[in-house]
Amino acid sequence: MPVSSAARALEVLLALSLLLQTLEYLRMRQVLTVQGLWAWPVQRADIPPGPVQKLLDLLFADPVMRGHLLLRLPVLLLLAWQGSNLALALFLFVSHVLMLIRWRGAFNGGSDFMTLVALTGLLLAELVQLGGDSHLAWRAGLWYICLQSISSYFMSGWVKLMQPEWRSGQAMTIFLNAAIYGPLPPTSVLRKPWLARLGAWAFIGWECAAPLALLHPLVASAFCAVALLFHFLVFWFFGLNRFFWAWLVTFPAILACSSQQVFW
Amino acid sequence: MLEALFLLYFLVLLATLVFKSRIVTGPWLFLLRAFFPNWKFFHATGNVPHLYARWALPRSVPSDALQWSGWSPIFPRRPRRLLHLFHNAETNLALVQQNLVEHLAADLNHMASDADARALVSYQLVSRLVCQSLLVQQTGCTYGQFEIRMLLDGPSGLIEEDTMMRSPVLPCR
Repeated sequence: MPVSSAARALEVLLALSLLLQTLEYLRMRQVLTVQGLWAWPVQRADIPPGPVQKLLDLLFADPVMRGHLLLRLPVLLLLAWQGSNLALALFLFVSHVLMLIRWRGAFNGGSDFMTLVALTGLLLAELVQLGGDSHLAWRAGLWYICLQSISSYFMSGWVKLMQPEWRSGQAMTIFLNAAIYGPLPPTSVLRKPWLARLGAWAFIGWECAAPLALLHPLVASAFCAVALLFHFLVFWFFGLNRFFWAWLVTFPAILACSSQQVFW
Repeated sequence: MLEALFLLYFLVLLATLVFKSRIVTGPWLFLLRAFFPNWKFFHATGNVPHLYARWALPRSVPSDALQWSGWSPIFPRRPRRLLHLFHNAETNLALVQQNLVEHLAADLNHMASDADARALVSYQLVSRLVCQSLLVQQTGCTYGQFEIRMLLDGPSGLIEEDTMMRSPVLPCR
């Protein structure tokens, strides 16, 4: 995949992912109000007293928060429609960090982290572009995102491999039982130990081998296809829809970096 | 040269899994932990904190003892829909509430023995969660109380349960 196409695909997918996140935040904005569960007057004690706390008091006031979320909508449409620029990338980066602080560091764990990676890559590309070389700038941004994405699968796979419960397949059944859509029905095939072990080893093997995706565009395409299925299954069993979109955003970077064939 | 650098990078990542270093903590590091992702998802089974709560109606006579309901879990379970791939606000909210319970359990673990848990932000937020959940269950409830229980699950169900803390009585109105 050429760098320019990957950059464009990244912008569109990132805009879509952030749009879905923003619509969810708007839907649940009541819980962030003073009367809501996540009231800022309670949470502000997380912030050491000082000017930053005062600034956040201002930014997290109910009307400002609502305005901030509403402002994200046209900005994201702009990102999808005409592409990024430095101001837009900076706004989305700061906006995302503010939302993370508002949710005590993370709203949806890994998907927030990967969204931050994509936004950092976008911001990096825009900053390097100030030097005048757009191609180099996007290569830097895409490689940053690609490496983080590949590292996420690699680490996730190896850390599972080191756990005896994962190697035996038991961990998969335990996590599926505890999931938001769980527990598994008593007759579920996923309760069969041999199938749980097979599934666990399949995903561990695939995740551990993630760096091989950089060897060739065909390997990268196959890797991303399996990743798509993997993230859909994670959504289906654990309800983590944001993970699906957050990692999908990084696939153009993986495809573009593998196409550069730096290893041969 | 580039190949060697990539190999070295992934070897360093592996080394971080084997060699443990001191954990650095701090309020800003907690709030900005997204900048330091460890990419460890669903990696270890073990004791998982669960929230249990009970409610009591107002006393008819001030000297009466509170009549408590049984303990019930406040644990997210939701129906599954394909459309949730695009919009899943309720489920994500339920998941972040479960994370909150896990943060409270972690805070309690790291708290000094003479510290008051009620000063913790996670405790205050969980108290609000409990009262809001109990008021949905029983609109007339005036008091609530919660427990953090550590549950150890196996492939066929619960293996072990241990109560980590019980809150004081919470005024839910």
